[in-house]
Order: sequence, then C-alpha cells, then structure tokens
Amino acid sequence: MLVFNFTLSTLLMIVIPVILAGLLRRRFQIPWILFTIGTLTFIGSQVVHIPLNDLLTRMHILPKTGLDEPGFPLVQTALVLGLTAGLCEETARAVGFFFMKKFRGLEDGVMVGLGHGGVESMIFGGVQVAAAASSLIPMIGTDLSALKLTPEQLTMLNTQMNSMATAPFIAAFAPLLERLLAMLLHVILSVLVLQAFRRRNGWYYLVAVAYHMLVDAGAVYIMQTSGDIALVYLALVAVLLPGLVWLVLTWRKEARPTPVYPQPVRVDLGIFAAAVRKELVQQWRTRRLLVVMTVFVLFGLTSPLVAKFTPEIVKSMAGAEQFANLIPTPTPADAMTQYVKNITQFGFMLAVLMGMNAVAGEKESGTAAMILSKPMPRWAFVLSKFSAQSLVYLLAFAVAGVGAYYYTVILFGSLDALIFLDINLLLLLWLLIFVGAALLGSVIGSTVASAAGVGLGISIALLLAGSIPQVGMLMPSGLLAWASVLGANAVAAPLPAASSATGMINGGAVAAGLVLIVLCLLWSVALFERQEI
Amino acid sequence: MHEAAIHCVGLSRSYGEVQALKDLNLSVPYGSIFGFLGRNGAGKTTAIRILTGLAQPSSGSAWVTGLDATRTDSAARQRFGYLPQNPSFYRWMTPLEYLDYAARLFNLPALERKQRIDEMLALVDLKDAARRKIGGFSGGMVQRLGIAQAMIHRPAVLFLDEPTSALDPAGRYDVLELIANLRGKVTVFFSTHILADVERICDTVAILHKGQLLLESGREELMNQYAINAAEIELDSLPSEQPPADVTAFLAAVEQQSWAESARVERNIVRVTVRDLALGKRALLPLAAEFGLVVNRLEWVRPSLEEIFLKLSA
Repeated sequence: MLVFNFTLSTLLMIVIPVILAGLLRRRFQIPWILFTIGTLTFIGSQVVHIPLNDLLTRMHILPKTGLDEPGFPLVQTALVLGLTAGLCEETARAVGFFFMKKFRGLEDGVMVGLGHGGVESMIFGGVQVAAAASSLIPMIGTDLSALKLTPEQLTMLNTQMNSMATAPFIAAFAPLLERLLAMLLHVILSVLVLQAFRRRNGWYYLVAVAYHMLVDAGAVYIMQTSGDIALVYLALVAVLLPGLVWLVLTWRKEARPTPVYPQPVRVDLGIFAAAVRKELVQQWRTRRLLVVMTVFVLFGLTSPLVAKFTPEIVKSMAGAEQFANLIPTPTPADAMTQYVKNITQFGFMLAVLMGMNAVAGEKESGTAAMILSKPMPRWAFVLSKFSAQSLVYLLAFAVAGVGAYYYTVILFGSLDALIFLDINLLLLLWLLIFVGAALLGSVIGSTVASAAGVGLGISIALLLAGSIPQVGMLMPSGLLAWASVLGANAVAAPLPAASSATGMINGGAVAAGLVLIVLCLLWSVALFERQEI
Repeated sequence: MHEAAIHCVGLSRSYGEVQALKDLNLSVPYGSIFGFLGRNGAGKTTAIRILTGLAQPSSGSAWVTGLDATRTDSAARQRFGYLPQNPSFYRWMTPLEYLDYAARLFNLPALERKQRIDEMLALVDLKDAARRKIGGFSGGMVQRLGIAQAMIHRPAVLFLDEPTSALDPAGRYDVLELIANLRGKVTVFFSTHILADVERICDTVAILHKGQLLLESGREELMNQYAINAAEIELDSLPSEQPPADVTAFLAAVEQQSWAESARVERNIVRVTVRDLALGKRALLPLAAEFGLVVNRLEWVRPSLEEIFLKLSA
C-alpha cells in the first residue's frame, strides 16, 4: 500500500501540471511554448539560485550545517532564503516575459506559472519523493543501527519512517498537496510579474519578490519552530488566499480571452489513434520494425550464448589457451551483464537513427504540410511518433527478453523471471528517454541531418550528466546502474530484498526518467506548434 | 460569421528584410472560383500557407468560413481542402490507403469513408492504380491524387496552389473541367501564373505583385474595365503580302474618321482601335461595305487577361 501511495503521488506530481496546462490550453488556445518558457524560467532561476545560496553560505550569511546552526537567527535565515528565491525566480520570469512580447494576456501569465511551478513539482516533488521513498521503504522493519549514522541522523530517519508507517496516506500525499499549493503560488507570482509589463509598473515585480519571500520564509520558520507539517500547510493556505483573491478579481476585471472553436476531445483522440495506426503500419512497411526486432532478438539470444561460451571461444583461439583459465566460470549474472550492455548500445543507436527522421523527414519531404493542413493537431502528430516507437521497442524488448530468458535458463539453469522483467522495464524506460531526446532533435532540426546532430547532442548531454555528482544517479545512467545491480542478483532473490541488499532501489532515477520524457515531449510539441511547415 | 468564404484583413508576412506579403485584404464569396494571379515569387504560396495554418502571419487575421484560420490547431481545417504546389505523399502507401488516412483525419464514418474514396478515385481516374504504391506514380498521377485528398471530406473551400503547373495539356484540361464543375458548390481559391487557366474558369480574379494586392475584381468587370475598344475584321484571304488597293483605301478612310484612333492590317485581319465606341460600332461595318470589302467576321475584342496582368505588374 505504501509503495502504491508513493507511486501514485509521484505520478500525480508529474502529470497534474501537464493536465492543468492542457485544460487551460484547450479553453483559451494558449500555446504550449508558454508552458515550456515557464519550465525554462524555473530551470534558469535555479542555475543562479543554487550557486547564490552556496556563495551566501561561504560568506557566512546562511548557515552551513542546518537551520538550527548557532549564530544564525532563524528569522534572518528564513528571510534571506526567501529573498534569494524571490529575486532569482521573479527575475527569471521577467526575462521570460521580456522575450515573449506577443503574449501579454493574463491567461498567458497563468500558463507560464503552470510551467514554472509544474517543472518544480516534477523535480522537487516527483523525483525527490520517489528517491526518498525508494530509499526509506525497503528499510522499514530493518535494524537501522547497522547503518553508520550519527545519533541525530538516526533520530531523523526514525521519525521519517515512523510517520510513513503510522500515517502512510498523509506521508505519501502531503508532498503532492505542498506542490499544488506551490503551483498556485507560482501562478500568482507569474501573473504579478506579467502585470509589471502589462501596466509598465515595476512595483508589481517588487511585490512578487516580496510575496515569494514572505511565503518561503514563513514556511521555513513555521516548519522549523513547530515541526508540524499541517500547520505549515494551513499557513500556506492563509498566505496564498489573498493572492488567489487578487488573481480572481484581476481575471474577472481584465481577462479578455480569445474565443476558440476547439475540436471535441473525442475527435482529437480519434485522429491521434489514426496517426498512431499509420505510424505502426509505416514501421512495418518500411521494414524499420524488422530491423529493430532483428537487432534486439539477435542480441537477446546471443548475450547468454556469448557469456556461456566465452571461455570455450578463448580456449579455441590459438595462443590464447592460457588465458581461458583466468576467465571465471560463467554465471547468469554474466549473461545479464552482456544483455544490458548489448541492448543498450544498439538500442541507443536505433533510437537516435529512427528518431531523427521522425519529424524532420516529414518536414523535409513535404508530407508534413499535406497532413498538417488537415485537422491533425500538432501534438497528435508528434506524440503519435513517440507512441508508435515506444510500442515497437516494447515489442522488441518482449521478444528479445523471452529469447534471452529462455537461453539463460537453458544454458545456466535458472533466472529470476520477476527480476529479469524489472531489468527489461528499466532498460525500456532508459531507451524511451533517448527516443524522446531524438524526437526533440527531429523537431528542432529542419533537415534529417541537422535533426541527427541535435538529437545526438541532447542524448550525449544526458549521458554525460550521469557523471555530475549527486545529480548523476538521477540521470539515465542511474537506471542502467540499477538494472546492472539487478542483473548481478538475478538468481539470488526477489526484487526488494536483492536490491536493498545492495542498497539500490533508485526510484528517483525512474521518476527523473519519466520527467525527462515528459519534458522532451512537451518541448517537442511546443516548438513544433510554433514552426512553419 | 463572415459572409465571405475566405476573408483576410491586413495579412502581412515578412522573412527578415523581405516582405513576402503586404497588408493583404481579400474577401472571397461563397461558391466562387477565385483566381489568385501573380508572377513567381509574388507571395501567392505564402498567402495560401497562412490561410491553411502552415505559416503564421506577422500581422493581420484571416478567416475561412468564419473560423480563424491563422491558428495552428484551428477547427477551420475541417472546412477546407488543400493541394500544395508540389504535393508529397508517403511513398510506401497506396492511393487507397492515403485517402483512407486522410478521411480518418477528417473523422468520416467508415461507410462514408469507403464511399468517398471510391468516388474520389473515380473522379481523378486513379481507380486502376488504387492499389499501386504512390512511390511509382508520375507527376500527373500525384497531382490528381492531390486533388482527390483535398476533396475527400466535401470541403466548403478548396485551396489549390498551382494545380495545373505540372500537368500535360490533357491533364490540365481534365483538372480545369473538374474545378469548373465545382462552381456554386465549393469555393475554389486557385493560385496560378497560367493566365489562360484563370481566364477560362475563374469568376473572380485577384492579382498579387511583390506581396501586394494590385486588384481584386470580377473577371467580367476586369475585362470591361481594361477594355481597349478595338475591333477585328476578318476579310477573305488576301491575294498577296501587300494589301490590295481597296483595303489600303479603307484603312486611310478609317483613320480620317473622328471616332477612330488607328487602323492596321496583318495578313487578312484588320484591327481598328476606336475613340468613341458607340459611334464606331455604328459606322465601321457600313464603311467597310462602302469600300466593297468582303467581311467574314467582325468582332469587338476585349483585352486578354495576359495583357491586363502584364500592364498591371509591369
């Protein structure tokens, strides 16, 4: 139940911002680009905010070890933290609005706010909660004293785990409530900053900074002094209420949304289904499906074979016989290592090669213009390509997985089917991140060649991000690391025990993978929507 | 809802320094065949791409059947069909499959879809090639399939960008006949630089030059407005290169008339330009009879669209 609650809460924190933005877009035809501008204003603000707080810590303006560090009055610390957040985020929003001169409607401000608060909900909500929950849940009922922790850390850990065990529902969904309130705050702040441009009055910007500072500082202060999360939420609601009232009154007074004539959702979904069907038929007719299946099946089948017969192969090589004894006796773990290595290497290449052509190829050949002059929504055009490719890879993994499982059992005697299923799901998620990245490249590039360059660039950046300390384990490489650990324990025990034994359930990487896919798709749709075909 | 099928107000589009379209104001009545004329690069395709939602205007607005057409996800696209200048299809598909896909995008129910696909394939004479891969089609077949896909959903408005430019004379004739038969039922917005096509089937004409609308008018009004008041008299064939004495005398007599401006002969055709059309119409034929000329035909000619177009876009 606890796992279900946290999984649902994580998914909601990732999906709700997109759903809210989708509803707003449908009602007022606000372009998705404003949501993505919001995501960029958040990410951009953090690029300054995090080093700024680090600098203030080094300058002894902010505490180093924690909010209760002696010599740092809590009120002052809370206010400084609130001020840096307000300054960085409101300035980032102002920069966003400065460049988006065409968008000055209040509904545009709401969309930017949803993007800003939405991506914060995905990262600071979904990813962090998934990471924390996946580390804590396996430890429930285990002896924590074996962990090398300070007494303070042990107390804090015990408190967290007790709250999880005694109030599992609240523990799982409280972060969701917090994120929803934060999203409301970001909507109010975005509209305030937008008003500074609409009315050519800088006071709105300053009010937004002050309001942000007040909310953040208040939350920090109450949490630190009372430790009561319910009280914090109550205070948040109280302080957000005036902002909400202002927003509603301003909306009623000033908003003049353009009337729109959206197609019924049923029609849009019917078109999307037709587009997915066409994409799947195309995969079949152009033999791309055959290529993917061949590659996956080939490496699915040969991975256990290579693992099993490597010593024999080495023995049979003239002059290399003496090295054969140095190779340890092959195990199912070796088969899994080969499997993970081969499937990811060749899957990556396929994802980039197939993805680069998806949109850019149609733009280049002119088929996109023929289709997009019909009632095909641009989101359906882009997402149908991702959906069809995902289904192809799902099928490829299924067939390759069955083959690899069968050969491993035949050659090595046993393999835990559930663990092997988990490995494949992790690899599929890992691959879909690069399918999304290649699709984004295909939207950005005007030709197939440029799309390949951009897609490959984004993919390599994601791979390299795996080396960044602290963040790296949340990147796609974190998924591979988890899959490899599972592979090494594939015969030993079922999933939770095996993974917790190695300290490795990386729910954060799974959530981050989902967020990366969602962002790649959102940015693809947003950019494609603005492009001339 | 606008009374016009297509309505543009102040539509402009620039690409950097180049202004492809300048302040286009148009109103195309329902059921008309609207000829959109212009030299290559005049901005015709840019205008159509904006009207079909494939490009965004720098400023201005446009409506198709009253629906805002300048949004990328406009419902207006349910109302029109579009054939681009160089239609491009999925080469692995057959016409049957492509038309089925297009019909699905227009949300046609299964029965109607099948019926419309049959009708369209018959209309564009592609029934025999219905199951062949489009990748092997000739330019003419591709163009005909383009027309079929644009009309699959019985659109109220049809945007055709240079639909005859890639066709041989027979194909061109068929396509023009097909478009002419739509008169009154579908509003056809027909861009071309082939003036004879416009002259033949369009009832309203707009001329675009360097991104600017030079004129928009009914074809007949345009012809009358730019009438040059000339008559052609076809005589019995002349015996030699040099006109006989009676013809020369007739030419001299005409030039002395107060209503006449000039007269010249080329082979067996005498072309007379008049200052006063009413007087000229009454006096010209009696004058020819006076000189004993045998007249096979007398026609008060109008300028060709080509002459008007060249004059306006000079």
